[in-house]
Amino acid sequence: METGEIIRLILEEFPLALAGSILAGVMCAFIGVYIVAKRVVFLGAVMTQLSVLGLSITFLPFIPLPHTVGSLAITLLAVAFLSKWLAGKTVPGDAVLGVVFCAAIALRILVLQKSPRVEVSEVDNLLRGDILFVSPDLFIILLIVFAAMVILHLLFYKQFSSVTFDAETATAQGMIAGIWDSVLYMSAAVAIAVATHLVGDVFVFGFLVVPPVTGLLLARRVKQVFAFSVAVGAIAPALGLFLAFVIDVPASPMIVAVASVFLVAAWLIRATRQS
Amino acid sequence: MKENDERVPDPIVELRHATLGYGKKVILKDISLSIRDGDFFGLVGPNGSGKTTLLRAILGTIAPLSGEVLRRESGFRAGYVPQRGNVNDILPFTSGEVVMMGRLRNIGLFRSPAASDKQAVRESLSSVGIEHLVDTPFNNLSGGQKQRVLIARALASHPTILILDEPTNGMDLPSRWVTLALIRKLHDEQRLTVILVTHLLDDVASLVKSIALMDQQNFQVGEVGSVLTEKNLSAMYQMPIQVRNLEGARIISPGEADGNR
Repeated sequence: METGEIIRLILEEFPLALAGSILAGVMCAFIGVYIVAKRVVFLGAVMTQLSVLGLSITFLPFIPLPHTVGSLAITLLAVAFLSKWLAGKTVPGDAVLGVVFCAAIALRILVLQKSPRVEVSEVDNLLRGDILFVSPDLFIILLIVFAAMVILHLLFYKQFSSVTFDAETATAQGMIAGIWDSVLYMSAAVAIAVATHLVGDVFVFGFLVVPPVTGLLLARRVKQVFAFSVAVGAIAPALGLFLAFVIDVPASPMIVAVASVFLVAAWLIRATRQS
Repeated sequence: MKENDERVPDPIVELRHATLGYGKKVILKDISLSIRDGDFFGLVGPNGSGKTTLLRAILGTIAPLSGEVLRRESGFRAGYVPQRGNVNDILPFTSGEVVMMGRLRNIGLFRSPAASDKQAVRESLSSVGIEHLVDTPFNNLSGGQKQRVLIARALASHPTILILDEPTNGMDLPSRWVTLALIRKLHDEQRLTVILVTHLLDDVASLVKSIALMDQQNFQVGEVGSVLTEKNLSAMYQMPIQVRNLEGARIISPGEADGNR
């Protein structure tokens, strides 16, 4: 197929796939800036696996919940508990995350093994994020979550940036830093849960890390970090989807690969600047 | 009633037989001290002696397990300068943006910074002598410059009391002197009440007016001259310590103490 034909095919046959992956990319790239800045990248990976576990549980016959609800419920519940466990001093925080990460993957495998509702390929597609067949309902949910995220983060940018920079002083100033941190993590959990259902765990975790690091390498101001990250979050899915058609490979890994190329380019630009 | 009765002002913050800690873990027991307007107070002790816990109690970020921590109802506005290492500077916030964080309480939940907030940021940076660094990313600054930005952030809220946690940690000698001189200047010129927390005795010995010397067994508080004695210091550090006066400055060094000074 020629370039024009592929673009027409994507725009006419898969408009929700294109728009959905861009929205998910932008959302993950934005929230990922906080995840990377707060040095909790592993928490991002854990949240992604928890949302996959939540999706899996909805395949059990005695849990008749929509997939997105299952994903949201498990992720939010676990993040609420995680914030308490991570504050403990007996077990190191990264060990707690490691335990939850392994447990989420193991549980998902066990749950799916005992789920009679669907074919393995269907489960596989859903858990990896079947970008090409995004349903209108799921797209609307994503749109609502995206809008809520934009409003929340525009309204409370000052608070989120302050607790990210220095939670101790924020508390001393009368802010309840723990609550703002929880709101930040909960917003990340919601974004990750919905995006994982739409585009899969590889895409979501990739976009929580790769675009923000690209932004950090290129930017000289905090707002530029967000701008570069969001730009990669928007451009890489469109370009990746196109290339996936051109060379006939799965879309999600291709999109993450494209984002990684941006990261390498950013690293080269930074190295050139410094030399 | 005496004719020349000198009235002692109410303390800005007072601890009465306070036991401090986290959950069930007790860090400090039966602590009593009061900080008054214009005090320049040093809180000194070795690492792990509970200085930060005491600081958190003064700031009100932890409640005492027993006893009382009383803050003056009007006029207790703390400007807090944390240890530099506790700040997360991965994101390239400019110095101006960092100082603006000190205005959050004034700005309010939903509002954007007003002209008065921007003015306060400029004035704060100017008062620590780094207004030219307003647009420089915090993570590109030297240790001494970072410390000044953090002090400016604390000043931006127009505090009545400035609380600094280990402000000279990890600094080379010139930066240490400059930072201590700046703190002294802020105390003298702006009549700020200052609490300076440090494990470096030299930092406070000739700087502060009153002092609390603490480790996990002992807590002594009073005028510098009565607390920083060879006897007290030798007992606390479990080695002979000498205290000498040299042209008005207190010199503390290892050596044979006579046990009485």
